[in-house]
Amino acid sequence: MADEFIKGLGILTGAGLGWMVLAGWYNTPEFEGAQLTAPNPGTVGAFGEPALLLKEGLFWFAILGALAFWILIPAAQQARERLAE
Amino acid sequence: MTDDTTTDTDREHRTDDRDVATDGGTETATDGGSEPKTDGSGTGIVPPDDEVPTWRERKERRQGLARLTYEYFERSRREDEDLRRESTYLDRDVLAFPTWPHETVRNLALASFFTGMIIFLSAALPPHIDAPADPSSTPAVILPDWYLYWSFGLLKLGPLNPDLTILGGDKLMADRTYGVMANVVVVGIIAMVPFLNKGSARRPVEQPFWAAVGVSGVVFAFTISVLSVKNLIPIPEHLLLDLTFLLPVVAAIIAYPVLKAMREGYMYDLNRRYYRLRPPK
Repeated sequence: MADEFIKGLGILTGAGLGWMVLAGWYNTPEFEGAQLTAPNPGTVGAFGEPALLLKEGLFWFAILGALAFWILIPAAQQARERLAE
Repeated sequence: MTDDTTTDTDREHRTDDRDVATDGGTETATDGGSEPKTDGSGTGIVPPDDEVPTWRERKERRQGLARLTYEYFERSRREDEDLRRESTYLDRDVLAFPTWPHETVRNLALASFFTGMIIFLSAALPPHIDAPADPSSTPAVILPDWYLYWSFGLLKLGPLNPDLTILGGDKLMADRTYGVMANVVVVGIIAMVPFLNKGSARRPVEQPFWAAVGVSGVVFAFTISVLSVKNLIPIPEHLLLDLTFLLPVVAAIIAYPVLKAMREGYMYDLNRRYYRLRPPK
């Protein structure tokens, strides 16, 4: 169970760090305003398009990964144990 | 030449004796050894099971605190043994880790991680550096250092300052005075807590109520800090003010039953044994 916790925490923090950096690059137009949550800029160029895609992917990976390892997998294990009894 | 030979032989004999005593093979060697082992622990880190009295044998006839200590260690040893038996990890019979290399490598790993994180963040997200400050004009955003945001947030509680009908809709004190009084109230509550609860719990599960109070305090410190930078938060102002005071209560309401439920676990039983060793309150 501790293994599942650190896997979920690692995914949450690692992917969250990547998301934060990319959001800091592309979604923080100014200091005195919305930081990390501003809408995507219109033209981002050849490197920006995959970066924005990666940002979205990291965001959902952080949330769904932590959810999977903290809730779904332990729940499935417990359900399997109950069924085995 | 002859004397030297004799000395060598003597030393060899003595070494042999000590080896025998260390092994603990025979009764005579143990009794006649130059270093009597009064604690019965032997010289090895992990004593062999067949020659050393167990914790039970050693402590059985003792009373009082020594017996409680023995009970705790025996219990924790049993729990540890059971856990090791059912664990899938490799079994290691060590009592501690040496400073070199284990602790040093671990500390180097931790120091490298945090240094690398500082370098990574400063390179990937360079801090915003504004134009040099102009002392003749007040900037649009005035903020203290982040660890004082909570106090700054308390200064922004103007909407809570009541308009009193008895004063003809006026306020009893100015919003800024009200904010300063809010600081006094919060600091006063924090100062009262040690008189209400001594804090003898070593784990949150031991006192779920006070742990829940602590959780609500931590959450309130966070939400009031968020309120202080409300111009940067994409949440409507009145909703943010409501959340500032609702979230700590919600967090406490969640924390209390969770901690209550955690009392059923393995660690709580172990801790209950442990704090029987403490002096009474």
